[in-house]
Amino acid sequence: MTEHTLKFFAEELEQLKADVIRMGGLAEAQVIQAVGAVADRDIALAERVIIEDEKLDALQHEIERCAIRLIALRQPVAQDLRRTVGALKLSLVLERAGDYAKNIAKRALVIAQSDPEIPLTRSVQRMGQLVAGRLKEALDAYSGGDVEAARSVWNRDEDIDEHYNSLFRELLTYMMGDPHTIGACAHLLFVAKNLERIGDYATSVAEILQYEVAGEEFSDPRPKWSSVESAPSISGEGS
Amino acid sequence: MTVLSFAWRKGSRSPEQERLPTTAINRDALSLRAIQLLPDAVLIVQREDATAPLRIVTSNAAAQDMLRIRAQDENLISVLRHPEILSAVEKSLSSGESCSVSCDTGGPQSRTLRIWTRPLPHAHRPSVVLILRDETDARRLERMRADFMANASHELRTPLASITGFIDTLLGHARDDADARNRFLPVMAAQAKRMSRLIDDLLSLSRIELNEHVPPSGTCDLALVVREVVDGLLPVVSAKGAKIDLAVPPESTAQVIGERDQLAQIIQNLIDNAVKYAPDGTAVTVNVCLDASFDADSDGSRLSDLREAGGGRMALVSPERAHENRYVQIRVSDCGAGIAREYLPRLTERFYRVPGQKSGEIPGTGLGLAIVKHIVNRHRGGLSVESAPGQGTTFTVLIPAPAPNTA
Repeated sequence: MTEHTLKFFAEELEQLKADVIRMGGLAEAQVIQAVGAVADRDIALAERVIIEDEKLDALQHEIERCAIRLIALRQPVAQDLRRTVGALKLSLVLERAGDYAKNIAKRALVIAQSDPEIPLTRSVQRMGQLVAGRLKEALDAYSGGDVEAARSVWNRDEDIDEHYNSLFRELLTYMMGDPHTIGACAHLLFVAKNLERIGDYATSVAEILQYEVAGEEFSDPRPKWSSVESAPSISGEGS
Repeated sequence: MTVLSFAWRKGSRSPEQERLPTTAINRDALSLRAIQLLPDAVLIVQREDATAPLRIVTSNAAAQDMLRIRAQDENLISVLRHPEILSAVEKSLSSGESCSVSCDTGGPQSRTLRIWTRPLPHAHRPSVVLILRDETDARRLERMRADFMANASHELRTPLASITGFIDTLLGHARDDADARNRFLPVMAAQAKRMSRLIDDLLSLSRIELNEHVPPSGTCDLALVVREVVDGLLPVVSAKGAKIDLAVPPESTAQVIGERDQLAQIIQNLIDNAVKYAPDGTAVTVNVCLDASFDADSDGSRLSDLREAGGGRMALVSPERAHENRYVQIRVSDCGAGIAREYLPRLTERFYRVPGQKSGEIPGTGLGLAIVKHIVNRHRGGLSVESAPGQGTTFTVLIPAPAPNTA
């Protein structure tokens, strides 16, 4: 390969990474706004999140197209190949995270119709901030190429799970106490589940970065304590 | 960085050439230096051609600090990826319009930024100036005023209602009943004390929250602070028939980056809690140890024991970029009733009480751990809890130690 092609190749890779980060920023904003729509019962904001999701889908297609073109034309090897494949994987992960945000926004529309006396939107908001923060850290790690920061995100998934389990119990108690709230609480339950899934995607971003840089997955066992036995897990709900 | 290149260019000129343009060059260099000193973050971004990425060609000190800009000519997107900011920049580039947007950075110490984008005229490439101003303080003040009103009025109403109830009774049918007066007045005094404690805690919480995003800059000796707090608490502790087992490293080894008074408040609140919940006659253990790290998990077998017993370990505050720091660790343990796992995530919520506790049995404002959490967050430290029913509770606080070369 001549130096000229190498230069173009490096630029294309950089562009690919820039697109992934752009997509990450969009997904991050979508999550924050979707949670904001639930907490503030803001219908206009929820509708905007639902529309904005198209941008994420478009960017995902664009990244996929570029990555495939890059593989076909430049036939990258070693780290270059991992970076290309990593961008492809990240775009899919971020697109899914965006879908969950869109789903939260849809539920925000329903929750906004319910009796405002449900105090739990506050807990959901707290969990949302935690998840959005984790996603931000993962994306910061990716844009700075900082594997140690990624590992730190990857190590800390458990507290999101704990928040989810705690919210789950709270909502159950609430629904048992007053059957009128079951409709809204069920939606909040799915909002919490979606947030938990988005938290998982933040750890996936960290894993993909590790794979890009080192070519292998994080090796040590994660300090995770799943508590499925104490809170029956509900299968995730997409868009 | 741009200032440097000017100095170099100036040096390469001959004396005759220099005389005339000197003033112009000096003026340019001065303006550039002035931009460096601005408190708002200022950056200039440029794009080589329509498809090339936006690059940061100049940034001032505030921008480098705020956005952690590492290299010159860095891609804008690697330091700023908020979609609203990016679209404002694109709009200024394509239409020459000036824009202004506001957004939150997110993360544990989220900041609210106001951003202006201005197209830069007469540049040889399409360029935009970005000005970022931190408006966190103003926003926080606004929100806190609302929160304070809601929380305070709710929590103050209960004791107030009881006091007015007693006053009504004493003014009414119990006017001449000395017996009732003697019974009611101590209760009223206790309620009034509770109100004043609540107000103290609410005020200190709002003060801490106000500057939560400004990390402390001084250093202090954590071991010394712990000793002082423990000495101050001795009367209360011995009155309860409890004792404190203290293990601290030698003086001036446990240096941390922090504000003495706030650290004392953390320790005070944690030991206070431990003493409150410990059964009479048992000991509360306070440990300070050096050179801890956040990610290093504590004893795995202990964790599985806790989980067996329906408890667990939970991070209540985890620092950003934890792996880059070393910490001094404080552990406060009691052998009280312990807390079940499902309640652990909510411990630092304001006015939260673990269900099953008889209210009034253990006095407190419900704000102690919230205060601890906010102070730890401000110090960029960590806070975690280990507990299980019947196995006591341990709170662990990590406060960043200064980097070795500055210690």
